[in-house]
Amino acid sequence: MWDCFESGLNLPVKTFLLLALALPGVLFLVSGLLWFLGVRPSERLVARASQAVYVFSAITFTIEAIRIFTPGDLGLEMQLGDWFATAHSHFGVPVLIDRLSVPILWLTALLMVLVSAFSMRYLHRDVGYVRFFNLLNLFSFGAFLVAAAGSIDVLMGGWELVGITSVLLIGFFQQRPEPVGNALKVYGYYRIADVFLIGAVLLGHVWFGGVEFAHLPAAEGGASTRVTVVALLMIFAACGKSSVGPFLGWLPRAMEGPTPSSAIFYGSISVHLGAFLLLRAEPVILASPVAQAVLVVVGLGSAVIGTLTHRSSTDAKTLLAHATQTQLGLIFVEIGLGWTGIAMWHMGGHAVIRTAQFLRAPSMLHEHHHVYRASGGDMKPTGSHLEAMIPRNIQVWLYRLAIGSGFYEAALERLLIQPVCRVAGWLSVLEPAPGPRKASTDSKH
Amino acid sequence: MGEMVMHEHGGSGGKGSSDAETFRHALHHVAHFLPAQGPIGVFIHHNTLHAFQDRPFEQAVVEAGKIFGNEPYLTEAAYADARRQGRILDEDIEAVVRLEEDAVLIQGRIGRRELRRRVLLAGSRQVPLPTLRWHLEEGGWLTQFRTDLPTKAREALRQDTPRALWEVCLARTPKAAADSARIARRPAEALKEGRGIDTDAVVHPVLIRLAGAFLDQGVAYWPMPDREDGLFRGAVRVLARKPALSPQGLAGMQGEFERLERLGTTAEEAALECLAELRVPKEDWESLLQAELQALPGWAGIIHELEKNPLLAPHEKLPFSLTDFVALRLVLTVLAVRNALGNASGWREWTVGGAAPDPLERVAVVFDGFQALGISSADAKALGGAEFVRLAEELIRFDEWERRRLLHLAYERRHERMILLPLTRHLRKRAVPSQKARPVAQMIFCIDDREESIRRAIEETDPRIQTFGAAGFFGCAIDYIGIDDANSVSLCPIVVKPGHSVVERPAKGEAESHQKRRALRRLWSQVIRSANVSSQTLIRGFISTVLLGLLSLFPLVMRVLSPLAYGKAVRWLNDRFLPDPRTELQFMRNDAESRQATEGLMAGFAIQEMVDRVAGLLGPAGLRAGHARIVMVLGHGSTSINNPHESAYDCGACGGRRGGPNARLFASKANHPAVRVGLRAKGIEIPDDTWFIGGYHDTCSDQIELFDLEQLPSTHARDLAELRKTLDRVRALSAHERTRRFELAGTGMDPETALRHVMQRAEHLGEPRPEYGHSTNAVAFVGRRETTRGLFFDRRAFLISYDRSGDPETKSLAGILGAVIPVCGGINLEYYFSRVDNEGYGCGTKLPHNITGLIGVMNGMQGDLRTGLTWQMVEIHEPVRILFVVENSPENVLKTIRANPLLNEFLENRWIRLATLDTATAEVRMYRGGGVFEPVEGDEVPVPTARTSVAYYLGKLDHLPVAEIDPGTGVTA
Repeated sequence: MWDCFESGLNLPVKTFLLLALALPGVLFLVSGLLWFLGVRPSERLVARASQAVYVFSAITFTIEAIRIFTPGDLGLEMQLGDWFATAHSHFGVPVLIDRLSVPILWLTALLMVLVSAFSMRYLHRDVGYVRFFNLLNLFSFGAFLVAAAGSIDVLMGGWELVGITSVLLIGFFQQRPEPVGNALKVYGYYRIADVFLIGAVLLGHVWFGGVEFAHLPAAEGGASTRVTVVALLMIFAACGKSSVGPFLGWLPRAMEGPTPSSAIFYGSISVHLGAFLLLRAEPVILASPVAQAVLVVVGLGSAVIGTLTHRSSTDAKTLLAHATQTQLGLIFVEIGLGWTGIAMWHMGGHAVIRTAQFLRAPSMLHEHHHVYRASGGDMKPTGSHLEAMIPRNIQVWLYRLAIGSGFYEAALERLLIQPVCRVAGWLSVLEPAPGPRKASTDSKH
Repeated sequence: MGEMVMHEHGGSGGKGSSDAETFRHALHHVAHFLPAQGPIGVFIHHNTLHAFQDRPFEQAVVEAGKIFGNEPYLTEAAYADARRQGRILDEDIEAVVRLEEDAVLIQGRIGRRELRRRVLLAGSRQVPLPTLRWHLEEGGWLTQFRTDLPTKAREALRQDTPRALWEVCLARTPKAAADSARIARRPAEALKEGRGIDTDAVVHPVLIRLAGAFLDQGVAYWPMPDREDGLFRGAVRVLARKPALSPQGLAGMQGEFERLERLGTTAEEAALECLAELRVPKEDWESLLQAELQALPGWAGIIHELEKNPLLAPHEKLPFSLTDFVALRLVLTVLAVRNALGNASGWREWTVGGAAPDPLERVAVVFDGFQALGISSADAKALGGAEFVRLAEELIRFDEWERRRLLHLAYERRHERMILLPLTRHLRKRAVPSQKARPVAQMIFCIDDREESIRRAIEETDPRIQTFGAAGFFGCAIDYIGIDDANSVSLCPIVVKPGHSVVERPAKGEAESHQKRRALRRLWSQVIRSANVSSQTLIRGFISTVLLGLLSLFPLVMRVLSPLAYGKAVRWLNDRFLPDPRTELQFMRNDAESRQATEGLMAGFAIQEMVDRVAGLLGPAGLRAGHARIVMVLGHGSTSINNPHESAYDCGACGGRRGGPNARLFASKANHPAVRVGLRAKGIEIPDDTWFIGGYHDTCSDQIELFDLEQLPSTHARDLAELRKTLDRVRALSAHERTRRFELAGTGMDPETALRHVMQRAEHLGEPRPEYGHSTNAVAFVGRRETTRGLFFDRRAFLISYDRSGDPETKSLAGILGAVIPVCGGINLEYYFSRVDNEGYGCGTKLPHNITGLIGVMNGMQGDLRTGLTWQMVEIHEPVRILFVVENSPENVLKTIRANPLLNEFLENRWIRLATLDTATAEVRMYRGGGVFEPVEGDEVPVPTARTSVAYYLGKLDHLPVAEIDPGTGVTA
């Protein structure tokens, strides 16, 4: 099914598709350049231009979706030229428009239309208005690139753009320390996860002679340890993007940014890109039972911790973050079990529901009043009949586990961060010691 | 815990008292400084610095500023901007400086007033310490004098060079004594200074998590176990469970809490243990507790408020206790300090402060001040040693906060003249028309500043209609339960306790349809609720996101892209499927029932009680006879979606709720035949053909809803139809005037489009500024509408109807001022403080706000609860203390205010400004303190005139000065 399919495509379709993919990036470049030159465009212009681009993309991808889901049409692969080639490897710029990428492209474009319309109002008069839209544009270009990438190389480009815009939007309110601190933490998680992806790219080139998705199944014939290693690397990279498994727990920290960016990044598109990578690389993963098992275990573990923590969360955004984490864990499980179709539906439905819930998060109180009045004051907790069967002491312990977020961060701190810091401390004997800290004067600034 | 609150202030706390008493006393005292804001669902405006109200305003803002680290006034740059825009004139600065205490600095040459005058007029260059050296070495401070100096100063410096002046200043400015170092007030402060360790970063996540879980009113799927035993007990029980892994910085937490659980230690005992372990001497307990509470004032504050009044909690009435919170905080702090240092008392080794300030900063201030004063290097050299020091010290003492204080006074002086001079002129120009003809209709609004525009629009559209303003609960302090409500609420000012309950019930023959409505609404709520919950849990979440997820795309697209259409669709569905029974208010006293009433709440009103309440409103407002055929009473409120602070936009006189039921009740009472008879006995003659109609005005969407129209006599149908036409027109006009402030609305909207625009604002999911609330409020006028009618107050004035002619003993005045000074003053001061320091006193920008526990908002996932107003509410606000203008003689007004200690405190401590107005002589007098009123004279303020309000404001975005709207004249705006 990965064969190129090039029949009956006339030029305009390709051009339109490429335009739809590239325009957000172009808009970011133009707007960024103008800003650099000192031009300060009006809010209206920035917002209208972005919206026009998203509307165009959404329409294009809608048409493409209709085409691609008509029986017989399997999509197309385009080579947008060569980057470079070595004796062993060839780095091209392949783009895949198929039944996997088009739904994601369509959903991203559509949600961007909504989020930009929402943000136009929401961020009105904020000093970071233009910055916000620039980042949003860069993000959607990155997300398009991930979705349409024909190789892990190209995907990696989009992957990084999504990562950096995500970090910059978490730290959007630069004048306060908490957002910036949390942005840095998330940045750390992303960077570590990226190492895995880079590893996958590297080994893929060395072992398989390239990382184009279309050619990855060829690896099936190769040594299964190699496949397992590459698959695991990709799984861990995906975990980083989706706040699952070893990278559990950064999602609530990402809630420092403005509400609409929380919606598009952590409710819908960005966190699902990890799962998307796994779907793309599905043949490799399904070729390795070890990878499949890891995926199921990691996903299930994250889902359980996610749902426990969710149950004890008391604020609108953390609540949604943990609810998101729960379903992301399940999506990983589904991919591990090879339920591709279900995973696709799950991702789509989940992304839409969460976007809606994040955008409604500031209205939580208003909605609560309405529902409460309508219920006549009868708002008993649901689903408690099952929990009542658990002994009281265990219930309290489960609650302790829940407010401790499964003790995962504490464990990470003690088992990983602390030892690393200690080693770094020992290493510092190699450097000239800095002067002793003066207690009262130095630390002021 | 009740004990602690009851504990008497003063007396104890000395050497002889027990530890527990000292602790309680200290905690009781420092709790005063916590923000007094309850759960956000019901927002009550109050003076942010209420705890400081016993001091003069200027002193209070400085003291509070130092305690909280907040700003007292706008920035100096903002006042400089105001000067450039003519919002502060030089004469204002001169006038306020004249009221300063003078002192001789250099005999025969300069005194304190003169120095302050010249420094303020020249303006001060900011001396930025971090960049000071750069300014001196490379930035040109030493190559060129300031370029913004007044001519006289420039003349004096003509022969001089900056370098020479700098040298003199550097050589002769006395050095400051170093601050004495002090022991840190709390461990976190010491560890940050001494070790660079932030223990708050360790303690706060756990503390906030637990406090949030304890206070949660229904967000979490699992409530905190055992929270009925209080925060401390509940937290101990949860944290003692094992196995558990605590964060690195709190290692040993589980064991510590297990110990507390085993011993059954109470919160107070635990706190005392911690204080002992931290080795804090008794006399420092208060400062430690103060510092610990102020590290998270929002959380501590809400617990304190709920402890004072647990009924403020929307759903979960728990044993709230500040002692619990403090004890938990201290236990965690001790753990964090132990982990950082090995023992809990080591933190007292480090001191803070004690560094000498950079001497260059003082020199720079003197250098800059001398330029402003026009003192050249030669002059400076010629000064005697003591003279130079005196001058230098005086300049240094005239620091930024002092300068800002005077600039603020000048800012307020200009405001006062911009209001009072046009008012005087208006009075002189036009003898008050005595309206003999019976008005077509009379409309009573709330005194709210937001109703000013719609009242003006009514008067402009149909001059035969009169408008009035009365506090929006309309004298009906009630406990009310509506037909769709789950439980009853108090609809009256927060200081009043309602004594009567009123119930909305289905009218005769509507019971069945009511039942059906209720059942349908229950069903709807269950569907919505379980859909919401199940989309978030594990297994139900899987099923619902896979199967139904994509369906939620349709409402989402509609709500975001076309909120009006969405609203319309929802209303259509409601109209189509939800029965809407006719209802009536049950407000007549039934004595048999009310005898069984509990809680001192009586069911409904007896006739005489109704007569008293109706007369209490109509009498002071001057509505004693000759009423129009229709008298309409409109309560108000505000609906918006994306707005945790929604309640702050509702009616303050109804306790942060919507005043529709009060207006409806008032009309029903006033229509009652027996009440009419009783009113006659009180000298209020309501003509037999007068009919009262209650209604509700939504100040966000500018919709008006009228109640009980089926009871309207058929004879009045035509009058109502006419009036409705006018109302539809003025709604649009009011919306149009409001949209001039909204940049997104653009210019060039017609009134109908403007109305649609504001309706969309109310329904838009992403709109952080549904309306501007009380923003820009600055004036409260207590007097007859005839006096101010025809003046354009730009929606900035509370208008309270008061007719002195029927009030020789100022009884009504006492009632009115007793209500409006605290209410309007509280609103105004909350806006003031949230504007001058939005991050400190306000709650910052709305955009990262995150609703927690249905009680408040915090930034991000684990921050402090934010109190005060959002930046989106106050961004266009002009922070001035409210100016009360009372239509009565100075003697009467002063006598009335002096008789009420609360009002007297407001006035004498200058938390409000006061002027009186005498219509007969057209004289306005401003209160200057100490019983002195001063006439306000002058003609430097032009009064623009325009034919209509629209013609005056069209296309303008900023605050507009008072104008005369006179259809008979030409336009001079």
